[in-house]
Amino acid sequence: MTLAIIIVIAAFLSLVCILGLTISRSLQVSAGHDLAGKIHPLDVEAFRNLLSPSDDAFLRQHLSASDFRLVQRARLRAMAAYVQEAGRNAAVLIRIGQAAMAAADPRTAEAAQQLVNEALLVRRNAGFALLKIYVALTWPTSGPAASSVFDGYQQLSRSAMLLGRLQNPAVPVRMSART
Amino acid sequence: MFQPHSFLWHYLWVAPNVLLAVLALSLWRRGLYGEFRSFVVYAWFRFLQWAILYPIDLIPSIDAKNYWRVLWVSLLIEALIVFVLISEFFAEVFGSYPAVAKFGKYLIRGAGALLVTIATVVAAYAPIDNTYWLIPACHILQEALNVVSCGLISLLLLSAAYFRLTWKHGAFGIALGMGISASVHLATWAVMANGGLADKRHLLDMTNMATNHACVLIWFYYLLVPQRVSTKSAVPLPEHNLELWNRELERLLQQ
Repeated sequence: MTLAIIIVIAAFLSLVCILGLTISRSLQVSAGHDLAGKIHPLDVEAFRNLLSPSDDAFLRQHLSASDFRLVQRARLRAMAAYVQEAGRNAAVLIRIGQAAMAAADPRTAEAAQQLVNEALLVRRNAGFALLKIYVALTWPTSGPAASSVFDGYQQLSRSAMLLGRLQNPAVPVRMSART
Repeated sequence: MFQPHSFLWHYLWVAPNVLLAVLALSLWRRGLYGEFRSFVVYAWFRFLQWAILYPIDLIPSIDAKNYWRVLWVSLLIEALIVFVLISEFFAEVFGSYPAVAKFGKYLIRGAGALLVTIATVVAAYAPIDNTYWLIPACHILQEALNVVSCGLISLLLLSAAYFRLTWKHGAFGIALGMGISASVHLATWAVMANGGLADKRHLLDMTNMATNHACVLIWFYYLLVPQRVSTKSAVPLPEHNLELWNRELERLLQQ
């Protein structure tokens, strides 16, 4: 009977999950117009520093083993926050891209398709990277491979920029707007 | 009221199956057969299953064992149709996106293998509590089949939500109905197959029948009621982010 109870609980959780997804899906449909505001800017330079193997090597060389683990845990937690944010932005870009895929202009539709594919890759890699980071948190001797998320996110940024240009040609894309 | 052969019992067994046939016919007449081929096959099969099992259950001259024999065979065929339907959902949802198409294939294969293993273990531990072996065997088979279908549909809905993949309105409705049906049936068959609520099994039967009815109504809504027109207009990317992306791109180019 214990087995039956476990299965009944699993079935109940599955039902709750299915109904929850249905409700969130209908809410997403009605909140579709506010997508762009949901993108949170990501400091790619800081993200890049966290992934730097030379920083890893420097810290390992100059800190004791216990101090290194302490610092590495903090870096991993920060990395997890960046990966989560990149994944969230990718999710928003998937929806923006899907909306643009129906565009009449074939170049815009193609750019949107590319954006969706790259955003999907980032979302997938972010999921795997988060798993690796949480595993690494238990024994933080080496940094996990979150570089796939970083590389993918940069590619995604380029695709989003291209789509933005095609959608809004009037808005000048300032290459020298360095602050 | 909740006893077998009460008016409610007859209604809950007849209405959903007749409605399924009506739904299949409506899809055919509206030219939607090609779009939902597997579901139409499923609907007709469920109607046929009912058209055979219902008279067998009612006609006293037919041996009760025949009911369980027919049910056993029909469950195996139904399982085959349901799994084809689920694999089509996976192909449709993931197949449109090259970036995750392969991932979708690995997901259904891996999860399918894991769920079949779990279903086998669950079936192996279920007791044979009736002198006629086919009765508990049917309960265990339904429990095992629902373990796999409930797991696969939940995984499909979860992964599609995680990747924000778009569904066709009708396909989502079918998956939703099948997910609800599989979850409720899994719970009730798990209780029945493990010998629970022995004196209140008619209530579990009623729960299953009422769930079937609710799911058929869900399918009617999603397949026949026109979808609310969603604005497919392009969402402009925010300017401030473009600037940020440009800065990052510039840094990249200067490396």
